[in-house]
Amino acid sequence: MSVAVKMMDTTRAATEAIVQRAESRYEAHRQEIFRSADRTFAGLLIGQWVFAILLALVVSPYAWQGKERTVHMHVWVAIVLGGLITSLPVALAWLRPGEAMTRHVIVAAQMCWSALFIHLTGGRIETHFHVFGSLAFLAFYRDWKVLITGLVVVATDHFVRGILWPESVYGIPNPEWWRFLEHASWVIFCVSFLVVSCRKSQKDMRVMAERGAELEALSENHWRQSSAADRAAAEPAARR
Amino acid sequence: MNSVGNGSTPQKGGYDRVVIPGPNGASRELSRREFEALPLRERVGYLIEGTAQFFVGAAPVPASDAMKG
Repeated sequence: MSVAVKMMDTTRAATEAIVQRAESRYEAHRQEIFRSADRTFAGLLIGQWVFAILLALVVSPYAWQGKERTVHMHVWVAIVLGGLITSLPVALAWLRPGEAMTRHVIVAAQMCWSALFIHLTGGRIETHFHVFGSLAFLAFYRDWKVLITGLVVVATDHFVRGILWPESVYGIPNPEWWRFLEHASWVIFCVSFLVVSCRKSQKDMRVMAERGAELEALSENHWRQSSAADRAAAEPAARR
Repeated sequence: MNSVGNGSTPQKGGYDRVVIPGPNGASRELSRREFEALPLRERVGYLIEGTAQFFVGAAPVPASDAMKG
């Protein structure tokens, strides 16, 4: 095998190794972000569950039928439905952190929490801000696809509850049929910017990984030049 | 080495164009954006072989300095 062919082979092998390491670094960075966000949201979901129970206890602890006092349905909804919404994503964050399914379930659960808070506060418009706050937090994943899941869950919830139980979502009994579209439009407005931000963030992460690869390549080139110089210096001595 | 940009302001690394080997022994000139848009595999290959020449304006810049900016 000629020296030139051998050189090409070693260059190809070194290139492949450096590119693979860059890809591994990029994937490791993404996984670190996904896992960290999974843990954060597991804590947030549990915190929201506790908060929802307290909210139900403070706002509407009891229902009255004549002189008979019973625990208000909202308290049970906060405990049972809140528990159902929280349990699966928290379990997935614990058992399968970093997986795509885990973050989509977490996002869906977070949006369900927005819906539950809106319901528990009787459809107060102010509670709808929970949706926008949640979407901003969900952008921590730097994965634009999860925001689409969030958007779909919110729009579906508003549409279905708007038909079946409008007071629960808008606080009024007879909203226009298209009210859910108005809400969804503002969510789309917010998500559009977050998607751009997530995509840019992903691109920056890739550039960082590639910058590392370029520096490795330079180092490899430097090492080759030093080795060649050493060999050239040693050659006359070997001939003697 | 600190290269000097188009004006008199010293720059700490960076480059604005690259000359890389093209087909049939010819060379081709790329802007920084074009070079960065090449597949990573190709860029790494040029850097390992040391066949990419970096420039700020007309002044050549060592690859190690070019990659700093």
